[in-house]
Amino acid sequence: MTRTRRLVWLAATLLAALTAVPRGQQGALRGEWPTYGGDLGHTRYAPLDQITPANFNNLEVAWRFKTDNLGPRPEFNLQSTPLMVRGRLYSTGGTRRSVVSLDAATGELLWVHSEDEGARGAAAPRQLSGRGLAYWSDGKEERILYVTPGYRLVALDAHTGNVIPAFGRNGAVDLKADLDPSMDLTTAPIGLHATPIVASNVVIVGAAFETGANPKSRRNVKGAVRGFDVRTGRRLWIFKTIPEPGEVGHETWENDSWAYTGNTGVWAQISVDEELGMAYLPVELPTHDYYGGARPGNGLFGESLVAIDYRTGERKWHFQLVHHGIWDMDIPCAPILADIRVNGRTIKAVAQPTKQAFLYVFDRVTGQPVWPIEERPVPQGDTPGEKYSATQPFPTRPAAYARQGLSVDDLIDFTPELRAEALKTVAPYRLGPIFTPPVVSRADGPIATLAMANQAAATNWPGGSYDPETHILYVHSQSAVATLGLVPPAEGAADGVRYHQGTVLAGARRSGGSGSATGQAGGAATSPTVQGLPLIKPPYGSISAINLDAGNILWQVPHGETPDAIRNHPLLKGLNIPRTGRPGNVGTLVTKTLVIAGEPGFGPTPSGERGSMLRAYDKRTGADAGAVYMPAPQTGSPMTYMLNGRQYLVVAISGGSYSGELVAFRLP
Amino acid sequence: MPFETMRSRVPAIAFALLGVAAFAHNFDAFQQVTVWDGIYTREQSDRGEKLYTERCARCHGDALQGIEAAPALTGPAFYANWDGETLNALFERMRTSMPQDRPGSLTRAENTDILAYMLRSGSYPDGKLTLDSQGGALTRIKVLMYRPEQK
Repeated sequence: MTRTRRLVWLAATLLAALTAVPRGQQGALRGEWPTYGGDLGHTRYAPLDQITPANFNNLEVAWRFKTDNLGPRPEFNLQSTPLMVRGRLYSTGGTRRSVVSLDAATGELLWVHSEDEGARGAAAPRQLSGRGLAYWSDGKEERILYVTPGYRLVALDAHTGNVIPAFGRNGAVDLKADLDPSMDLTTAPIGLHATPIVASNVVIVGAAFETGANPKSRRNVKGAVRGFDVRTGRRLWIFKTIPEPGEVGHETWENDSWAYTGNTGVWAQISVDEELGMAYLPVELPTHDYYGGARPGNGLFGESLVAIDYRTGERKWHFQLVHHGIWDMDIPCAPILADIRVNGRTIKAVAQPTKQAFLYVFDRVTGQPVWPIEERPVPQGDTPGEKYSATQPFPTRPAAYARQGLSVDDLIDFTPELRAEALKTVAPYRLGPIFTPPVVSRADGPIATLAMANQAAATNWPGGSYDPETHILYVHSQSAVATLGLVPPAEGAADGVRYHQGTVLAGARRSGGSGSATGQAGGAATSPTVQGLPLIKPPYGSISAINLDAGNILWQVPHGETPDAIRNHPLLKGLNIPRTGRPGNVGTLVTKTLVIAGEPGFGPTPSGERGSMLRAYDKRTGADAGAVYMPAPQTGSPMTYMLNGRQYLVVAISGGSYSGELVAFRLP
Repeated sequence: MPFETMRSRVPAIAFALLGVAAFAHNFDAFQQVTVWDGIYTREQSDRGEKLYTERCARCHGDALQGIEAAPALTGPAFYANWDGETLNALFERMRTSMPQDRPGSLTRAENTDILAYMLRSGSYPDGKLTLDSQGGALTRIKVLMYRPEQK
C-alpha cells in the first residue's frame, strides 16, 4: 500500500468511525422489524426502497388477518405494531391480548397464545390487545415477551408459542406482586398497554393506570419502572418515579405529598441507547390530571424525561417538561434517538414529541437542551387549594409544530356567520395561550378553559419517526379543543380530591335533573361545536417534517381527506375548502423515499366505499405520493419488511363497526 | 316453479308479509329512515340516561365527551366513525363489546335505551315511535350527522 493509499484508507476508516451510528438509531435493518419502534431508538425508519412514489398506488393486499376470535368477542381498537423476524410476524390481538405468530409472506397462523385472566383481566385498567410485544434472541434461542392486561410479564418460545417455564414462575412474572406483595392482585388498578422493550438481556417495563380525570382519592399506586433478566425473569432493578426521602427530587413534593400520591407511571414506549447503556423514560403526570391541590410542588419526575442506566436503574439525568402538571400533558410517546449535527458539532440527541406540540431536543448523554429551553411566566388561576407553577419551560427551537392554547384567531372562519357564532360560543369560556389553567366551572362563566394541545393531544401515543440519513423527524399532530373545567365530584369531595374534570353543564346532566339536550350537536358540555362543525379553523390533522440539524420545520401537510361532515355541510355549500386533514392519533413510517401513514377515522374515499386511505408522501417535500384503500382506519402504526425479495407494509386497522385486522400490502 | 314447492312456501311468505306489516306500523317499508325521524321516545332516553350514568360514564365521560382511550359518543369525532352507518351496526358494536368490564351484560332493551340517550345527546329529535331493539328494525335506520333534506 502506498503512502497516499494508506492515508486515504486511514481517512476513510476515521470517517467511518466518526459517522458510525449506534444500533439504536439506524432504523430497522436486514429487512426485519424486530422491535416496536423499528429499532431501540424508535426511529420507525426502514431503509427499504422497493415501494416508491412511482408505484405506491399499485399496492395490493397480500393478506389479511382478522383478530375476532382470538378472544371471547371481537375487538374494535387494534393498536399493535407487529414485529417481523426471520420470516415470522408477531403481534398481539383480540380482547384478551393474545399473541399470534404468522407467516409473514401469507398471514397464515402459525401459533396463538392466550391467557384467560378471569376477574383480574376483567378488572384491568388497560384492557384489549395493547400496542404489541417484544422479541429477544441470543442467536440460538428466540423469545417473545409481552405484558398481559392483568399486568403479568410473559415469556414465550418464539418458535412454538409455548411459555418458557424457567422464566418467572411458570413462564410469567407477576408485575403486581413484584411491585408490592401486599397489593390486591385482582383489583389493584395498574397495568400496561405499551410493549416491554428488551435491551441486551434486560426487559424494561413501565406502568399505566385508570385515566386520571376523576380519581376517587389523592392516593394511588405508584408507577415505578423495572428491569428484569430476560432469561430468568428475576428483577434486576427498580426506578421509583416518585423519589423517596433522601433521593433527588424528593424536595419537589411539598407537604409530604410524595407519600400518598401515585400514578407518575411510564405508560408510553421507552427507548434505549445500548451503546451508552441508557434507557429514556417518558414519565406521565402524578395523580389527578387537572387538579394538583393535593400534591403541591413541581412533583418530580412527573412529566419528565428521565435517563437511567438500564443495567442498574440508576438515574443519569432528567428534565421536567411541565412543572406541577394540570393539563394531562403526560409524555405520551417514545423519545426518539437521533444523532444530529448542529453548528458543525455532532450531538447524540434525544427528541421528544409531546401532546403540547413542542419537540424537546436534548443531548442524550448529558441531558442538556440542544437549543435553549427558557423558563417563562405562564397564566395563573384561582382554583381553591391549587398551587400553580409560576413558570414553565419553553423550547426556543424548533417552533411548536401545531397550535397551542386557544385564541379568537384560531376560531372557524369559513363564513362570517360561522365566525360570529363561534365568537358567541366561546364568550362564556376562558381562552388563553398554552399553560392556561383549568377553571372551576361556573354557570355565569367561565364554564371552562378551552385549549388545544393538552389532553386533546397534538401528538399522542403513536409518536413520531426519524430518518437517520437525513436527520429529519416526522410527526403527526392533531388540532382539537379540550374543555378544561372543574366541578365538585358528584359523590362529594373526598380524600383530597376537591374537583373532578367537568362543567356545570355536564354536572347538571349527571345529577339527572333536566338532562336536556343543549340544542347543538355535540352538547355544550363537550368541546363546543359550531353548527356541528369544529370550533377551530383547519387543519385538524397534519404531518410535520422537522430538520433536527437546524431545528426548523421543513414542511407541513394536512393529513386526511376533508371529512364528509364538513364537505357536505349545508352551510358550506359552494365553498372551496382545501384538504383539512382529520383529527386522531396517527403513527408514521419512514422509508428510503416515503413517509407513510393511514388517515384517522372513516372518511371519503375515491371509490365512495366506506373506509379510509393509507397515504404516502414524498419525504423530501411532503407532496402526495399515493394512497391505497383500507376498509377501516389505521389504529396501529404501519411497519415494513422485506421477504423473499418483496417489500411488505403491514398496518393494524379497526374502528366503528369494523373489528381489528392486520392488513399486509405489497406490489403485484 | 312446481306447485308443491310454491305451496310449501306460502306460510313462509305469509309470515314475512306479516313481519313487513308489523314493521310498517312504524315506518313505510321502503322509506329511508334516519336518526332525524323521531325514532325514539323521551321516556326511552330518560331510562338510557340513567343506565349511561351507571354503566358508561366512567369511561366515556359524563357528557359523552370521551376520556382518553374511550372515544367520544357525540360530536365530530363520533361521526367520523359512524356517519352513514346503520343504527344496527352501532347497536351491535355496543351489544358485543360494551361495557368493557362486562361485555354483553346489558339487555337488548337496555342497549336500545342507551342508544336513545346517545341520540338525544346528539340533538336528534325524540318522537312518538319507540326505538325497536330488533336488529331488523335498526338495520333500516341510518346514522346521519345532518338532516338529509338539508344536504
